[in-house]
Amino acid sequence: MKIENTFLIKNKLGLHARAATVLAQLAMQFDASIMLHQDDKCAEGDSVLALMLLESSQGKEVRVVCEGPDAQKALDAIGELIADRFHETE
Amino acid sequence: MKLSELITKDCAKAAVLFTSKKRVLEYLSELAQQQIEGINQHDILDALLAREKLGSTGIGKGVALPHGRLIGIEKPIVMLLTNQEPIDYDAIDNRPVDIFVGLIVPDGEHQAHLQTLAAIADKLRDKDYCRRLRQAQTDEALFEVLDN
Repeated sequence: MKIENTFLIKNKLGLHARAATVLAQLAMQFDASIMLHQDDKCAEGDSVLALMLLESSQGKEVRVVCEGPDAQKALDAIGELIADRFHETE
Repeated sequence: MKLSELITKDCAKAAVLFTSKKRVLEYLSELAQQQIEGINQHDILDALLAREKLGSTGIGKGVALPHGRLIGIEKPIVMLLTNQEPIDYDAIDNRPVDIFVGLIVPDGEHQAHLQTLAAIADKLRDKDYCRRLRQAQTDEALFEVLDN
């Protein structure tokens, strides 16, 4: 199963090192291949370095594509994390 | 952005011999302090330690990006250390770490900070590049590897 959704980066700091780390740690938990796309760049969801390369800042939209047995669970969890500003306060 | 433009020669240290995370952070704060006048080494160390408390900056594959935000500096200070032996760093993949890219960034500059991180990530993502960093045995050799 391959599914995708687009999410808005809401936290002030964007996909900085800590946010990228939290996202990668979450992505590692699922039996799914997870890719994030922004503009013409893409990154593996479980690689902190790749995620930082997206330079996703506040207000950017990222498209998350998940494939595999846990695809739906992974997509939901990642959507929730981004919506929750990576647990950051602003 | 070239890494040799971010990291000055005296901020690239090859094959150092530290045995703990704390010692690495202390050394980075010492190096950073030499780059900026009027900033207290303890403030730099506190910023680095505070960041580690939020979660380890050991991002996996033997690499860590210890960093902190500091008020009163104008441009980021970027440092590169390679340690002789990988050390325990509570990294997210539980692997020990031997490549450290230290970052002290001005408070507030979020977009610029993301660009700096991306420039570093772009290089470190390459396994071969990391291998060359690890192989460099002198500071000069390490600096030579930076953009290659």
